[in-house]
Amino acid sequence: MLATAAGPYLFWITSRAAGIAALLLASLAVCVGLLMGGRIGKGRRPELRVTHEALSLATLAALLVHGLSLLGDAYMHPSLGDIAIPLLSGYKTLWTSIGIVAFWTLAVLGLSYYARARIGVQRWRKLHRFAALAWILGLAHSIGEGTDAGQAWFLASVAIVVVPALVLLLARLLRSATAPQPEAAR
Amino acid sequence: MSASVRQYGARASVRPSDRSDTRALASSHREAIRRRTRRIRRSVAGLAVALFSAAFLVVYVQLASGHDPALVANATRRAGATSTESTTTGTGSSDEAGTGDFGSSSGESSFSSGEEAGGGASAVTTSQS
Repeated sequence: MLATAAGPYLFWITSRAAGIAALLLASLAVCVGLLMGGRIGKGRRPELRVTHEALSLATLAALLVHGLSLLGDAYMHPSLGDIAIPLLSGYKTLWTSIGIVAFWTLAVLGLSYYARARIGVQRWRKLHRFAALAWILGLAHSIGEGTDAGQAWFLASVAIVVVPALVLLLARLLRSATAPQPEAAR
Repeated sequence: MSASVRQYGARASVRPSDRSDTRALASSHREAIRRRTRRIRRSVAGLAVALFSAAFLVVYVQLASGHDPALVANATRRAGATSTESTTTGTGSSDEAGTGDFGSSSGESSFSSGEEAGGGASAVTTSQS
């Protein structure tokens, strides 16, 4: 059996672990966010809001660790531009770029919560819906590029949180598609 | 004096204590919300640390035991390249197969090697146990 000294790979392992944690936390944040608008979370909105906010901030922190720890990887040795600017990295350019776009979208849409009074609550809510799209991009990035994407433990742990989030997202989309428009109701 | 006036008068006479009661109730309610918020935030932080630690442990054990998907794929590829090299009698192809993505010292090659970005590191310390 091949045995490997893990010491030289600590940055790489850290990046992988942080990426997995970020995906799981983001999926939970999407679940809680969708529950907030639904019937299930009607009586528990304040708690769900705090949970959603905390999960989103934890996701952003994990994503920062995911990207920044790669800077210390002795083999890949990417530059700050490689991990922060889409289409700059030569490593799996498409998947890496999708991940970078997902991160920036999540960061902007997530942190804009603290400026929603300035943006306007209605406009902010409309913009915030795109966070689900960023989450899907992140999911595509992890499955397309993730080293552990083919592993059973990874797929099982991701499915536990991703499947409910996808179901809730579909339910929300269906509900908003079938709900009468304000103009039509009049 | 009518009943309503009497009632109003009674209410007016206890108003200061009522107000302080309401204030105490509101402040205890606010404190409860604050406590609940803190508890939720702490739980989420704990969950995040637990998820990261669990993922780190799994990946670490996987890598240390030689079951890392990237390193295994790389080792298989290299073994394949070596066997091809030994069976071919040509001269030019052996250099390419032997060095692969990792023999090159240029930084560019490390980024153009697909799955080997992680696996590429295996060129450093992969040993037989």
